[in-house]
Amino acid sequence: MSAIRQNLGRHLLTSLFNCVAYASGVGIAISFGLMSLVFMSGSAQASEDDIALPVVEDLSDLQSGQLVFRSTNGHYLTSPSVDTDVVIDISGLLARVTVSQSFLNPTTQWHEGIYVFPLPETAAVDHLRMKVGERIIEGEIKPKQVARAIYEKAKSAGKQSSLIEQQRPNMFTSSVANIAPGDKITVIIEYQQVISQTKNDFSLRFPMAITPRYIPGEEIINNDEVQQFNGNGWAVDTDQVPDASHITPPVLLGNDSKTNLTTLKVNLAAGFQLAKVDSLYHPVDQVTLDNDNRQITLINSQAGVRDFELVWQAKASSTPQAALFKQHFKGKDYALVMLNPPSQHSIKQSIARELVFVIDTSGSMDGTSIKQARKALQYGIKQLRRQDSFNIIRFSDDSKSLFDQAQLANHDNLDIARDFVNALTADGGTEMAPALKLAFKQNNESKGLRQIVFLTDGSIGNEDELFKLIEQNLADSRLFTVGIGSAPNSHFMNRAAKYGRGSYSYIGNESEVKQKIQALFNKLTHPVLTDITLNISCEDSLEQWPQSIPDLYQDEPLMFVLRADPLPKQMIISGHFGTRPWQTTMQLKGGKQSEVVSVLWARRKIEALMDRYRLQNKDDVIKQQIVEVALNHHLVSKFTSLVAIDKTPAKPLGEALSSKIIAGDLAAGSNLERLPQTATSASFQLLLAALLLLSSFLLRLMQTEQV
Amino acid sequence: MKLALKNKLPVILLVLALWQLGQGSYIYLKAELAQYLIAAAWQEQDKTTQIKPWPWADTWPVARLVVPQHKVDQYVLAGVSGEALAFGPGHVFSSAAPTISGNTIIAAHRDTHFSFLNALKKGELITLYNRKGDRRDYIVQDMRVVDKEDVDWINAEDYQYQLTLATCYPFDAIQAGGPLRYVVRAVSLATI
Repeated sequence: MSAIRQNLGRHLLTSLFNCVAYASGVGIAISFGLMSLVFMSGSAQASEDDIALPVVEDLSDLQSGQLVFRSTNGHYLTSPSVDTDVVIDISGLLARVTVSQSFLNPTTQWHEGIYVFPLPETAAVDHLRMKVGERIIEGEIKPKQVARAIYEKAKSAGKQSSLIEQQRPNMFTSSVANIAPGDKITVIIEYQQVISQTKNDFSLRFPMAITPRYIPGEEIINNDEVQQFNGNGWAVDTDQVPDASHITPPVLLGNDSKTNLTTLKVNLAAGFQLAKVDSLYHPVDQVTLDNDNRQITLINSQAGVRDFELVWQAKASSTPQAALFKQHFKGKDYALVMLNPPSQHSIKQSIARELVFVIDTSGSMDGTSIKQARKALQYGIKQLRRQDSFNIIRFSDDSKSLFDQAQLANHDNLDIARDFVNALTADGGTEMAPALKLAFKQNNESKGLRQIVFLTDGSIGNEDELFKLIEQNLADSRLFTVGIGSAPNSHFMNRAAKYGRGSYSYIGNESEVKQKIQALFNKLTHPVLTDITLNISCEDSLEQWPQSIPDLYQDEPLMFVLRADPLPKQMIISGHFGTRPWQTTMQLKGGKQSEVVSVLWARRKIEALMDRYRLQNKDDVIKQQIVEVALNHHLVSKFTSLVAIDKTPAKPLGEALSSKIIAGDLAAGSNLERLPQTATSASFQLLLAALLLLSSFLLRLMQTEQV
Repeated sequence: MKLALKNKLPVILLVLALWQLGQGSYIYLKAELAQYLIAAAWQEQDKTTQIKPWPWADTWPVARLVVPQHKVDQYVLAGVSGEALAFGPGHVFSSAAPTISGNTIIAAHRDTHFSFLNALKKGELITLYNRKGDRRDYIVQDMRVVDKEDVDWINAEDYQYQLTLATCYPFDAIQAGGPLRYVVRAVSLATI
C-alpha cells in the first residue's frame, strides 16, 4: 500500500514537471508561430483591458480636502483653516471680485500657511493687500523669482509677509509667513473679469468646488527619506509628505470636520432692466434695489461641492445689442467692445455645408481608441441634415476616401458610410499629411462652408510640417480636432485646431462620446459669422486682442479689446454671414468710462502671448514681453507675482516656523488628462494557465485511478 | 456519453492551459524581444529622422532610460498607446520632450518594463538620453499613489527639469485595469 502511495507521489511530481515543461515549450512555440500575427495586431491583449476600466465612483463621495500633518511628537494636527469672504461687484459687462482669505492659527506655534485656490481662467489678478491687526500693507508686482526671493527673505527675518503666485491660468497659491500663535492674517486679493454672455443670458462663475484628488490611506512602499526636497510652494506637492506611509487618511471624510468657510455677496448693477436673477447651485437671499440693481447673498456659508454660478436675463425690451467701455491710461486709449451679431433666423435654411470626417486608423488607435472613434463617427453621421454633404477619409500608412467628392447625406449614402465606419480597424503607421492634403484638395468651391472633423490620438512626430500644411491649405475650410484615447497628443491637436481656425475637443472614454460629439455638432450646425475683420483708421497705433477674431457660433457675442492713440470715432466690422458678406459700422463715441479696461486689455494680451510662448517652445523673448505687460499693468501671471511685506519683524528670531499647507481645491485643466492603462494580462493568464493545468492533471489522475 | 466527456475534459483543460500559458508568456517575451529591435532602430536613426523598429510599427524610439542601481536600460517609445506600451515604456506626447526643460512623463506596464519602480528608492539616479545623444541625470525625489484621473500632481511643473514615471498599482495585482497608478517624480541634478 505504501509502495503504491510512494509511486503515486513520484508519478505526481514527474507528471507535473513534465506538464509544465511541455506546456511552456508548446506555449512559447505557439507564440513564436503566432508572432507575426500578434505583432501586427499590436497589443490587443494589453489594451483590451481598457474596456472594463471602472470609474471610481466613491472618490466623488469625498467632500472636503482638509489636510492633516504629523507633528514632531507623532500626533496629527489638522491644518489651520482659511475663511474666505467674497464680494463681487458687477457693473454691466465687468465684474470686480474681492477675495479675502483669513489665515487662522489656532496653535501655540508660529506658522506659515499656504493655500491653493482656483479662480476663473480669465481672471486678471491685479491687487493684493495684507491685513495684520489694523494695519494694511499693499502688495507689489515683481517678476516671479524676485517676488519669491523677497518673500523668503522676509520669512526668515521673522517678518509677516504674503505672496500670490499663479500656478496655472485658473489656479493660484497664496502664502502667508509668520502667523503668530492664536492670531490671524487676512490676505485680500482683487481681480477683474468680463461677464460671459450668450444672447440674453448673462452669467458669472466663482469657483468653490472642492474636488478630491487623493486616495485616502494608500500606502507607499518606499519611504526611505533621503532629503525633503519639497518646497512649500505647492499644496498639491505636500499632500503626501515624505512620511506618507505613516499618515492616516490625508483626506477627512464627511462634513463633521471643520471645513473652510466661505461667505459671498454680489452687488449686481446690470445696466439694463432685469427680468430674472438665479443662483444655479446655491441658495441665496435676493434684495431688489431697483429695476437694474440687485444684491445677492449666499445663505449657506459652507464651501460647496459646486462652483457658485449666477445667471441673469434682461427684460426682452432692453436686451443689449452692443457695449462699449473706455479708459485713458498712461497716455493711451483703451476700449472694450461687445457686439451681438444679428440673428441668423432668416438665412438658417440656406446655409449648405460640407463636412469631412478624417479618422486615424493607425496601430496606436488599436483597442478602445478605435472603438471610441467609430462610435463618435457613427454618432456624427447621424447628426447630418438632408442638405449637408459629407465624406469620410481614413488613414494609417495610406489614406482612403469613402467618396471621391463629398456626397449628399441621403439615405443610401449614409448606409454606405455606416458600413464603411463599422469595418474600420486600427493597424499600421500614422501618415497624417496625405490624409489632410486629400481633405483640403477635395474642396469644392461652390459650396459655402466646409468643416473638417479630425479624429485622432495625434501620435505623430512631424508636427511642424503639419502645421505648415494646415496653414497653407486651409482656405475656406475649418479644422476641428477631436482627441481620442487616454493620453492623446493634446498639444498637437490644440495647435492644429488653432491653425485650422476651429476648436479642439477631447473624448476621454466611451461614455463621453455622445455628449462631446453633440456639443461639437451643436456648434458646427450654427455658425453665424466667419472671416471677421476690423477696419479701423488708426492702424499704426492700434493693438487689438485677440489679433485674429475667431468665427462666431450661435448666440456667441463678438468681444475684443483695443488700444489706440487716440481712439478713432468709428470702426467697421465686416465678415461673412453664411455665404453673404456682412458689415456694420460701430461708433466709438460715448460708452462708459471704466478704470479697468487697460487691465482687461493686458490680460488678453498676456493670454495671447502665453499661447505664442507655448507654440514657440518657450521663447525667452516672448517671456520678456509677458513680464513687461504684467509689470506695467500690475498683473499676476505665470512669470509675475504679487508680494506684500510688513517691514517690522513680528516673530522673535530663534522661534521655529513650521509650514502648513491648507488644502483648497480645484479641478484643473492639464496636459495629461488621464494616466494610461499600464498593466498587462500576463500574470492573470499565467495564473489561469496554472489552474487549468492543475485541474486537468487532477482530473486525469482521478480517471486513471478509477480505471 | 458521460464517460466520453469526462475523458475529454482533461485534454480540453490542458489545451486551454497551454493557450493561456502561451499568451501570458508571449507578453513577457514580446516586451523583452522588442527592445532588441528598438535598440537596432535607435542605432540606425540619425538626429532628425525617425526609424520605426519594424515596418508596420506606429511608434519609434524617442529616448533611452538607464537606471544603474536596478540594471535597467530601456528604449522609450513615442506615445502611450497600447501598441507602444506592449514593446517598451511610452513617452506622453503632451509632456516635455526627453531631457529638455519641463516635465517629461513616461509610462510603462507595471509587470514588464516598469516592474523595477517597485524597488526604486528616493535618491537613486535615473539617466535619460534623447535622440541627439543629450544626457540628463535625474534624482528620484518623491513617489505617490494616485487615481488615474488625478493628474494634478503629475502635471505640476515645479522644477525646471522634471521626470515623471508612471505605472499601474498595486504591483502584484493579478488583474489589469485597476484605477490606481504609482507615480515617481525625479528632478534633474542641475536644479536641486
